[in-house]
Amino acid sequence: MRTYILRRVAQSALTLLGVSVLVFVILRVLPGDPARMLLPDGAPESAVAELNRQLGLREPLIVQYGLFLRSVAHGDFGQSFQYRAPALRVVLERLPATVQLTVAAMLVTIAAGVSLGIITAVLRGTRYDVAGTIVAVLGQSLPNFWLGIMLILLFGVALRWLPTSGFASWTSLVLPAVTLAAFPTALVARLTRSSMLEILNRDYVRTGRAKGLTEQSVVLRHALRNAAIPVLTVIGLQIGSLLGGAVITESVFAWPGMGKLIVDAIFFRDFPVVQTVLILSATVFVAINLLVDLLYTVVDPRIRYS
Amino acid sequence: MREQHPRFDHIGRRDFLTVSAAGLALAGAPALAAGQAKRSGEIAAGLSERMLTLDPANHYSISTTSVLRHLFDPLIDVTNDSKFVPALAETWRPVNNTTWRFTLRKGVTFHDGTPFNADSVVFTLRRVQSNSKLIKSFVYQDIESVEKDGDYGVIVTSKRPFGSLPAHLTMLGMLPPSAAKNEEAFFQKPIGTGPFRFASWTHGDQIAMTANPTYWKPGIPKVEKVTFRFIPELSTRTAALRAGELQVIDRVTPDLVETLKGTRGVKVLDVPAIEAQRWVFQLGKEPVKDQRLRQAISLAIDRGVIIKELLRGYGRPVDSPVPPGLIGHMTLPAKVYDPEKARQILKQAGYSNVSVDIVLMKDFYPKQLEITQAVAAMLGDVGIKLNIKNLEIASAREQRTAGTYDLFFSGWAHMPHDPDWYFGQWFTKAGSEKLTRYTNPRVEQLIAEGRVPDPKVRQAKYEELERIVWDEDAELWLYYTVAIYGISDRLRNFEARRDYYVLLSDVAIA
Repeated sequence: MRTYILRRVAQSALTLLGVSVLVFVILRVLPGDPARMLLPDGAPESAVAELNRQLGLREPLIVQYGLFLRSVAHGDFGQSFQYRAPALRVVLERLPATVQLTVAAMLVTIAAGVSLGIITAVLRGTRYDVAGTIVAVLGQSLPNFWLGIMLILLFGVALRWLPTSGFASWTSLVLPAVTLAAFPTALVARLTRSSMLEILNRDYVRTGRAKGLTEQSVVLRHALRNAAIPVLTVIGLQIGSLLGGAVITESVFAWPGMGKLIVDAIFFRDFPVVQTVLILSATVFVAINLLVDLLYTVVDPRIRYS
Repeated sequence: MREQHPRFDHIGRRDFLTVSAAGLALAGAPALAAGQAKRSGEIAAGLSERMLTLDPANHYSISTTSVLRHLFDPLIDVTNDSKFVPALAETWRPVNNTTWRFTLRKGVTFHDGTPFNADSVVFTLRRVQSNSKLIKSFVYQDIESVEKDGDYGVIVTSKRPFGSLPAHLTMLGMLPPSAAKNEEAFFQKPIGTGPFRFASWTHGDQIAMTANPTYWKPGIPKVEKVTFRFIPELSTRTAALRAGELQVIDRVTPDLVETLKGTRGVKVLDVPAIEAQRWVFQLGKEPVKDQRLRQAISLAIDRGVIIKELLRGYGRPVDSPVPPGLIGHMTLPAKVYDPEKARQILKQAGYSNVSVDIVLMKDFYPKQLEITQAVAAMLGDVGIKLNIKNLEIASAREQRTAGTYDLFFSGWAHMPHDPDWYFGQWFTKAGSEKLTRYTNPRVEQLIAEGRVPDPKVRQAKYEELERIVWDEDAELWLYYTVAIYGISDRLRNFEARRDYYVLLSDVAIA
């Protein structure tokens, strides 16, 4: 087990180094010039050249990368071109909002998605199943943008129950979390349903029922536990991608998260911010994958790593 | 980001003596007991463009300029009709063509109680001139020296005439010299002389400020607190206004006006902006190098239809490269719609099946794609094929730099309320080298001669050069933009600004 973990950690480090090279090179071969994006349109060429020099973009690529690696090793991800502040600080400032939104959306996903999946599986073929399936299909097919605006218009503008946007109190978290959770909830619900259906037909479930276990115990203790493995995998992946950015939801709700930050940073060629966000989220993604793999052993004792 | 070109107008095209006299008169008025005016309530505004820094010298953004105007005072303010009026400078006058003298207001203090004086101005101007890391540095490169002339006088000399200096100064807040000690820490929690004090902010998300009870202007500000939130998504800004969370939003598009007007408690204000929509040609290469083709393109476009149908009336016909109210504005012959004449010109010039590429910066201007498609249809009518290339902003600008375009969709906000930057950038050989490749020695000479402080001389030079570029169809002038704001009907005294500023110092809330 220990060897396995060590090997996985080493692999992860290598992956991250690869990510850093890719990000670094791709950003710099993209057309577009950071100084030109920072200066007002129509600033003199001399100003563009001078600013690029100040930003350190006149050095050869390999020198820039070397300097970058050295400062990252010291925990310094460079100065954001746009914000004129340390890129790491700019990114970390967005972290609380991103984490809150991700956690809230995941809680909604797990609570609603898993319940919906169980209900539709157990009540298969009834009108509850049909209704649940419709909800799931809608969740996967409604564009976030539209759903978000509709929720704002209903709960923010018409009823005035919840704030329309921003990052102030827990109430401002409700609408973006629900919007963001719509897609993964539907995904988890459908996956739980099909996984449960498969398990519920197994012999040991019939045996459980035959020996007089309550239906609740059969479904929740025996079936769900076995059906959970694919669901866990999907949830792990979803957390990773939500952390990486919920760009549309963040835009619609003016939520100060990382998704919008990175999209803007790409548009405006703010290399240090893009690098910081991508490297940090790659790190989180890799770590979560590792954790999920290890969690399998807890959920399913048959799985052993050596 | 829109194209922002802050430019200051300088003292008024009319007469700087009047301005100076007004300043003297104001200065002489007894300081009415400031702070005794009743102050109550708070206002939250939603702006379209994110504010990324609190350093007045390190951005060129319109939103940021208007937010920072609440924390910092500039030397000079500009009114909605482009007049230059005293702020921290009581008077200013050109000593000669390359020297300005500013007389400063006495008795003003920064938020920490330190007095404002010439040291502050010298520090602020020298900093922006010498630190080329600062975004605004390039504007001040013509400055040669900034010297104190007593505790409340400053003399600025420049390498060449710098008539637009007062205009530029309306966009530059004055800093305390103590900021130099640790600039990064200072701009996390800045101190100015402005009507509001810094309370808190999150980069690019929102900033809160509280009233400065000892502000030098009596009775200002009128509310206890202002918050600016940065919400680029228009539908979100609109919803927050309709829900009563915001009291002001900027950059409303024409298609949302009716929705807002139909909401209780919400008003819509509009005003012709100091922004001209004009597409630029790549004048260095075929085919649009040919003036006859440019003329035909201009004649083939029905600007009235664009204004009436696509902008729902929120646009104004162009009669000069410079919008009304600014120095240099004049009335030139209208750019008419005459497809028949366009066809004739094309035929005479031997064009058939000519094709022109237009580059757009994706999602940069509202309705830009619809407008371009409409123009493509109009040009198609006279036999010109318009190929639309809607590119990500950085790529679009890259193409413009490389010169691989024929037409480029762009606008120009004459930001410091002065056209010197516009002319100097787009109509000189050095300035337009990576933009339009425009070159005309006579125009270049007129631009240089138009840099002097004397507004009468400037007006005459600009009128002559505008006639030339207008006849050349050097750019495709389409319409002047209209600025639209949504506000709560509880606001009193809110002014819809032509420069897109949202200024709340003078605004009260019921």
